Amino acid sequence: MFAKRRFISALALTAAGALTLGLAACSAGSGSEPAASGGSGDLTTIGFVAVGPEGAWRKANEANIQETFSKDAGFDLKYAPAANNDQKSQIDAFTSFVDEGVDVILLSATEGSGWEDSLERAKEAEIPVVLIDRGIEPNNTDLYVTRIAPDNIAVSEGVANWAVKTFPNGANYFTLEGPAGVSVVNERNEGWDEVVGADPKLVKLGAQTANWSTEEAKSVFETVLKSNNNNVQLVFAQNDEMGLGAVQAVEEAGLTPGKDVKIATIDGTKNALQALADGKLSFVAEYNPLFGETALEVVKKVLAGEKVESSIVVPSDTFDSPEAASTALPNRKF
Amino acid sequence: MNSSKPAGAKGLVAEVVRKQYFWGIIAIVLLLAVNVFKDPSYLAISISPTDGNLVGNLIDILRAAAPVLMIAVGMCLVVATGGIDLSVGSIMVVAGAVSMELLAGSNAPDSLGAAFIAIVVALAISGLLGAVNGVLVSVVGLQPFISTLVVMLAGRGLAKVITGGQNTSAVNEPFRWVANGYAIGIPVVFVLAVLITIAVGMLVRKSALGLMIEAIGMDAKAARLAGLNRRGLLMTAYISSGLLAGVAGIFATASVMTVDVSRTGYQLELDAILAVVIGGTSLAGGKFNITGAAIGAILIATLDKTVVFLGVSSSATPAFKAIVIVALCLLQSERVRALFRQRRIQRPTGTAATKKETVSA
Repeated sequence: MFAKRRFISALALTAAGALTLGLAACSAGSGSEPAASGGSGDLTTIGFVAVGPEGAWRKANEANIQETFSKDAGFDLKYAPAANNDQKSQIDAFTSFVDEGVDVILLSATEGSGWEDSLERAKEAEIPVVLIDRGIEPNNTDLYVTRIAPDNIAVSEGVANWAVKTFPNGANYFTLEGPAGVSVVNERNEGWDEVVGADPKLVKLGAQTANWSTEEAKSVFETVLKSNNNNVQLVFAQNDEMGLGAVQAVEEAGLTPGKDVKIATIDGTKNALQALADGKLSFVAEYNPLFGETALEVVKKVLAGEKVESSIVVPSDTFDSPEAASTALPNRKF
Repeated sequence: MNSSKPAGAKGLVAEVVRKQYFWGIIAIVLLLAVNVFKDPSYLAISISPTDGNLVGNLIDILRAAAPVLMIAVGMCLVVATGGIDLSVGSIMVVAGAVSMELLAGSNAPDSLGAAFIAIVVALAISGLLGAVNGVLVSVVGLQPFISTLVVMLAGRGLAKVITGGQNTSAVNEPFRWVANGYAIGIPVVFVLAVLITIAVGMLVRKSALGLMIEAIGMDAKAARLAGLNRRGLLMTAYISSGLLAGVAGIFATASVMTVDVSRTGYQLELDAILAVVIGGTSLAGGKFNITGAAIGAILIATLDKTVVFLGVSSSATPAFKAIVIVALCLLQSERVRALFRQRRIQRPTGTAATKKETVSA
């Protein structure tokens, strides 16, 4: 028993080690060119108020930022993940960065509201703040320099456009949503409804939450198939996991995913691309977490005193064929 | 369903009606009736032409009920001791994470041995976590609520450590069969769940174990004076709950062959507690009813499936479920039923017509 647990922790350590090595290799690769320019002066200190452990997407996003703002590139990045997704711990970290007098603060807020006072303080101290992924509420653009994030609405519009194009003769579709009321869910619905709602040939059978989970999505979708006598041609799954659950429900009902029922998902994780390459998913829209380079450019501009847009949309890819997925798979980081 | 029984079984019917879980059965029947109302073929069970298995909505309900059934049975034992086990959902995810990690590591898609090892190790670790609960409660003497809360929080963390924060998936046919396979047309997962439930039921009811557990739940001091080994009994209850949660975790992850570290088993402890309460076991401890917990579990699965079948919107789902549960609890409450009875008795004296009706009936 004890040996087993030790084996598992050893396994975890090895995995972590392998990951670190991999990351180190990446940063060495990407960091080699700007090193020449950054070598002239002192390191620029960056305070990164981050979300911390949340899921594969966040992990890829924050690792990417950390490896982009490397010492080789001329930066000293101080990474402060939130304790248990707690906003209080983020505000504490933010305040101490301001007191310390870092050059730039990057902020991924766990919660949108309640940032005014902290941002005011940073403004008084003349420390520019760049929002990473998450926005603030109310969205007062005076308080920060810019927000860099992929656009949920645009991403789901991408899926919707594919759906309209793929089903010129119409189809019945079902939406697998994340938890009700979450902003991501609302935005992904908004983009989808805008395009698909304008096409009367695409008939909405319904929408149900599967709480981002593969298992729940499978259970929900097997019942949806039964209640509609398998007459469902399209599934819009708002994340990859739920899409993969729908695939299994379709297979179990004796239908072929990709042929009888086409499933489109958002996120673009490795597992989803693998399923797309195998022909089980039909469309995967990426919600791109890797925008460290964009952030780096913005920070350089800000430090040089140039103006930047108050909102920068990170371009996200879409994958609509097994071939596209197979090409992208080997370099997939998340 | 009771009316169809012959008059000779009247005594039995009367006994079932008196049971708390009778109202759970009524609720299941009503929910199914609502579904039938929406689609008359809802109850139809057909035989799949491709593989000869039974397919239908009822079969789906039974399959969905299996994990909840497992944790509800475990919870029932713990609740009977006067405790509560909040860690079952987290133990599920640990069991899932361990088995998926082992299967992914062994990379043997058809190996029965790999599946067996994964199940044994997952159950062993689940049992160990249950034992941690047991030790915290019985030896250290912490409140069950706090001890199991600790394991609940630690468990999900442990699962994240085991999978490195990823949602691990694996391929292994024998393991997948546990949740998706069929034995003579019936889902294996439900057969297993029922067999385990019956085994636990026999164990506690045919031996004195059940009585002893009830005794420490009713009055710990009196039980000690009567010479019962409280520590041992508590350990038994918590370890059983841990093991059963492990089984539930295997069922849940085998169904999709993926463990989702943040979602597998998430908040299922609440479903388990609900199932136990619907089944007529008091949270104050003491008398417990495993049949009732099983019916509660099936009710929860029926409710979940009904919500989807009726197409209740995501935002209204929690409210819909809450209304059903509240209505059920009201029906179960002696006081509310007494209120209805009084009104029924008073009414015949009011009008002659209704009086005649009651007499003729």
